Parts: sequence; C-alpha cells; structure tokens
Amino acid sequence: MGSSVSHAAAPPPTAVGLAVALPPKQDEKAEPKNVDWLNLPCPVPFEEIQREASMSLKPELFEGLKFDFTKGLNQRFSLSHSIFMGSMELPSQSSDTFKVPTAHYEFGANFLDPKLMLVGRVLTDGRLNARVKCDLTDNLTLKINAQLTNEPHFSQGMFNFDYKGTDYRTQFQIGNNAFYGANYIQSISPHLSLGTEIFWLGHQRKSGIGFAARYNTDKIVATGQVASTGTVALSYVQKVSEKVSLASDFMYNHLTQDVTSSFGYDYILRQCRLRGKLDSNGVVAAFLEERLNMGVNFILSAEVDHRKKDYKFGFGMTVGE
Amino acid sequence: MASKVSPKGKEKAGKGSKASEERSAAKCDKEWSTWAMKKAKVITHYGFIPLIIIIGMNSEPKPQLYQLLSPV
Repeated sequence: MGSSVSHAAAPPPTAVGLAVALPPKQDEKAEPKNVDWLNLPCPVPFEEIQREASMSLKPELFEGLKFDFTKGLNQRFSLSHSIFMGSMELPSQSSDTFKVPTAHYEFGANFLDPKLMLVGRVLTDGRLNARVKCDLTDNLTLKINAQLTNEPHFSQGMFNFDYKGTDYRTQFQIGNNAFYGANYIQSISPHLSLGTEIFWLGHQRKSGIGFAARYNTDKIVATGQVASTGTVALSYVQKVSEKVSLASDFMYNHLTQDVTSSFGYDYILRQCRLRGKLDSNGVVAAFLEERLNMGVNFILSAEVDHRKKDYKFGFGMTVGE
Repeated sequence: MASKVSPKGKEKAGKGSKASEERSAAKCDKEWSTWAMKKAKVITHYGFIPLIIIIGMNSEPKPQLYQLLSPV
C-alpha cells in the first residue's frame, strides 16, 4: 500500500541550504532587454486589437435553451447540430419590451485544415452563414464571410485579403453594397503597435478613417481607437494572476452623445470559466461555462437590465469538442 | 476638301455609333454581371454545405457514409 503510493507520486525536489533563505531571483526586472529594432514581433490583426477586452466583457449572452452537438467524423471534418429555443425582442414604441418565442434548428458542417477552413451553418428558415479562410501563400490569406437569406436584398458578403509582413499586417476588404475598406497595423516597439483604417461605402457615399493604438505587456493590454464616425473606444485589461483578469471598457460616440463604460472580470479556472460585467447603462451580466466531463460543457447565462427592467436568463449544454 | 470632310464626317458618325455601342455594351455587361451574381448567390446558397460535406468525406482518413447520419 505505502510503497505503491510512494511510486505513484514522486515527491518534488526540496530546496536545500541557502536557497531556502534567499528570495527567488527576479529575472525580468534585473535584466535590461536589448530591443532589436529590426526584429519586432508581428502585431495582432487590426480587427482583433481589442480582443482581450471583447472576450472578457462581451460573452455570447443568450436567453432560453441552447443545445449544441458537434460530431467529429475525422480529425478535420465535423458536423454540428444546434437547437435554440428562446425569445426574440420586438421593437416597441412604449417602454415595455415585447418578446416573441422563437426556436430554430441549425445544421452545420466544418472542414478545418491548416491551409483551408470551411464553415457553413444553415438554419431552418433557410439562412446560410458561410465562412471560408484560405491561405493562398505563406503570408497572404483570403477570408470570405457571407450571410445569405431567401429574402432578396438582405444577403451580405465580405471578401478580405490579409497580408502579414515581418512586423506589420495589412488587410483589404470588399463587401456588398459597394463597401471597400483597408487597414494597416505596424509594430513600433516590442510592446506598442499603431494602426489605421479607411473605408468607403459606395451606395451611401460615406467614407471614414480611423486610428488605433495597442500597448501590451505580459500583464496588461491597453488599447485606444478613434474614428471619423465620431467614436472613441478605450479599453484596459489587467491580468491579475494566471486565473483572473479584470477588464474595463469606455466608448463614446460624439454624434449621438452616447457614453458607455463597463467593468468586468474573467475567471479561467480548471473546470469552469466565469465572466461577469457591470455596465453604466445599468446592465449586469454573467456567463458561466462549466466542464462537466470530457467534451460536455454546461452553460449558464444571465443578464439583468435595471434601466429597462428586462431580464434574460439562459441555460444550455454543449456536447462535443 | 470634300474627300477630307467625308472621312471626318464618317469619323464623327463612327464615334457616335461607338459611343452608343459602348453604352449599350456597358449596360449589357451590367445586366450580365447582375445575372451572374444572382446565379452565383443561388448556387452558393444551395451548394456550399454539400461542398463542405463532399470535401470532408474525401479527406484522409475517409469516414464511412453511415457516420454522417448516426449520432454516435
């Protein structure tokens, strides 16, 4: 009995002598890093500049029942079946919220290859969500994103061409309704990257330009974005420990005089991931994903809007990878 | 003189017909491209998911046909 236990768990090596008394060496602070200005790291893509803040503060909250089943036939090919029974909000003149129960079944097929990714989802009402990502060369990637509906003039599509350089990334977008956009982001230092984007909407003859900056170290990520459409968006994420990070977000729209600020937390624990946020619009939300077993996840979603007196509670299960 | 005038007249007439030809050619192109976009949208709408399934069923290791329908 005792011998089997000692074989199963080898005791960790204990520190001996003076090493116990002295504090561990702090390598990061003592060593000044020599910055290699010719070999800066590649920045994150422009649309993911606020990725950490969006992941923590904007979980996919839902209302109702959600059941997802993913069946893998192959390492690269899988089919997914998804059932959603919830309610849809109808716009109403008065301050009351009108909700109509809706339900749909969604069938999806995924093919994931390192060079080619195809994801398609079709709903019971005939809508198709298609995503294609293809690596044309080592540095050039083509992404296609489309939502096709049976109703005419409601379909949307977007083509993106991404080019990744040594310390910069650039993207060119073509969308329906004659939408053209381009963005460029460059690493200025090992921690700081600056980017810019322009877009042009053909049918409405609107154009815009925006600037973004991102500063990230191991512990913090701070981003700021300004656009000629009158929006200013700032975000700050602090990684308090391996399991906990706190995020805050500020958005200001000059044209509609709309200000929103939110604070949130993100706990990534061994068996679950808990995200919660508090908003300046009086919205409190929480999202829990608990891993019950290998491949079985239980999801709880809650959102309370104190200003509109609207509550949304949802629960669901995800089976499969 | 007359011989010089007539080629100019012919040029003008030629240019006029070319311009109208260009306009109708552009209109034809636009009509054809709209028709092509509509057909492409219908083909994508019906054929995208079968395309993914065909590509997936032909990738290595080849899955069996019954695995498409059974829930196991």
